[in-house]
Amino acid sequence: MNIITNNQNQIDKAIIALKEVLDPEIGLNIVDLGLVYEINFFEDKKRLECIMTLTTQFCPMGETITENTKSALEKLFLGYEILVTLTFDPAWNYSLISEEGRAFLGK
Amino acid sequence: MIPGISNNDSIKTTSHKVVVPFYIYAAFSLLISCVMLLLSSSNFLGHYFQPKILAITHMMALGWGTMMILGASHQLVPVLIEGKLHSEKLAHASFYLGAIGVPLMVYSFYFWDMGHPAKWGGRFILLSILCYIINLNKSIKHSKSKNNIHAIFILTSVIWLFITAFLGLALVYNFTFKLFNHDSIYYLPLHVHAGIIGWFLMLIIGVGSRLIPMFLISKYENKSLLKWIYFLINGSLISYIILFYISNKPLYAYLSWILLFIGIIMFVYYCIQAYKDRIRKKVDEQMKISILAIFMILVPILLLFICISTISLLSKEYISLSLSYGFLILFGWITAIILGMTFKTLPFIIWKKVYTQNAFASKTPSPKDLFNNQVFILMSIVYLLGLIAFVIGILTKDINLINIGAILLIFTSILYVFNVIKVIFHKAKTS
Repeated sequence: MNIITNNQNQIDKAIIALKEVLDPEIGLNIVDLGLVYEINFFEDKKRLECIMTLTTQFCPMGETITENTKSALEKLFLGYEILVTLTFDPAWNYSLISEEGRAFLGK
Repeated sequence: MIPGISNNDSIKTTSHKVVVPFYIYAAFSLLISCVMLLLSSSNFLGHYFQPKILAITHMMALGWGTMMILGASHQLVPVLIEGKLHSEKLAHASFYLGAIGVPLMVYSFYFWDMGHPAKWGGRFILLSILCYIINLNKSIKHSKSKNNIHAIFILTSVIWLFITAFLGLALVYNFTFKLFNHDSIYYLPLHVHAGIIGWFLMLIIGVGSRLIPMFLISKYENKSLLKWIYFLINGSLISYIILFYISNKPLYAYLSWILLFIGIIMFVYYCIQAYKDRIRKKVDEQMKISILAIFMILVPILLLFICISTISLLSKEYISLSLSYGFLILFGWITAIILGMTFKTLPFIIWKKVYTQNAFASKTPSPKDLFNNQVFILMSIVYLLGLIAFVIGILTKDINLINIGAILLIFTSILYVFNVIKVIFHKAKTS
């Protein structure tokens, strides 16, 4: 799990929040699934930007996952403007699943 | 910083309003087909070319199989081609035209009226398919991956569906206008195999080769194998049509059968490899029945070989074998795949509709909680028992077994409809 960030102090808090967001089909959270690429904090603008992907661009659950990601961050970072941005470059692949994620799926 | 897109429109999928009517229509078509099986059970002791059996066949192939696949594919095509569905209006048109055409067709076969009801039924169905072809073609044109092997499989399969329906309508006309040199029953194998191999098999391989690894979270990918399968199966069907046209000798059918068999074995191998390389170890019941269905295709394919052998070597067609072959395709292979896949797709479509806006607000059920899994397991057991009883009944000409099989299949369809309705009418539950 290598999430890029510009604020090492805040990233752990954000990861805890995002671990609550599950992919409804797989049942695994989006952090361990490797969907979250980058989380940046802009304290001057009170803005948090999360750059993430989906397992496939037209994933039927894509809208739900991005909405839930936004809600999870909003709950924890009160007063921040939350911007969830999707990217498919690089595309998601199985190597992005964390060890914890693999252990969960291998049960 | 990684560049991205913040507009959710780029990931918007097809609306549930497009997809759900297809699922409801198909579910009730299955129930009606099973009731028709019981009401017409004695017909399964005779020849397959008779009104009641033709009516059941069309109810299953069009009302159940095709309507369900068209519905699901409106939702799944964006995943497969990595692009949006071109038009929801065309998807609605496809549904309504098909929904009118199928009962007209079934009525005309059941009461053997090859006049206006059959012709109008056929026309409506052709128009429904045409709407889907236009929609699919335009969706693929605007997608990122135009040469995607899954998209090629699907587009080819729909073209075969159009050819099947066009030939079917021509055969209906042949009853009153004498379009062809021979009577309609002579051309029936062409119509049947264009539908089974060209439409159902091609589509199931195209969709299955993407969805099975996706649901299993499998690392396995083999596009060159899929290309071989594509050429073998199309080669099988095209060779069959050419040889049928040149000289309709049953012996020639061996060549087409061998190509088909190799193609299917390759697909079975593909699924086994995807299963072996899966990261997700726990496989749910819905996937189990879908994977079982992939293997179930081998039974009718081996029956087809026996049918070809008896016709070519003994110059005799064993009707009960041919009937079992058709029955195992429609009520076996296609039905098993749909029974499983319905609950891998429909609960997610409804869950997304009900919970997208408030999924994170509080604890919500998972999509799998939208249907009753115990009912699903019971349905699967009753279904397999019903299928086996009916086929043994056909082969041994035992009317009691046929009736028991039909009753079990009615029970299966009731359990299926129950779960489909339970999912569709799910109301938001939050705690």
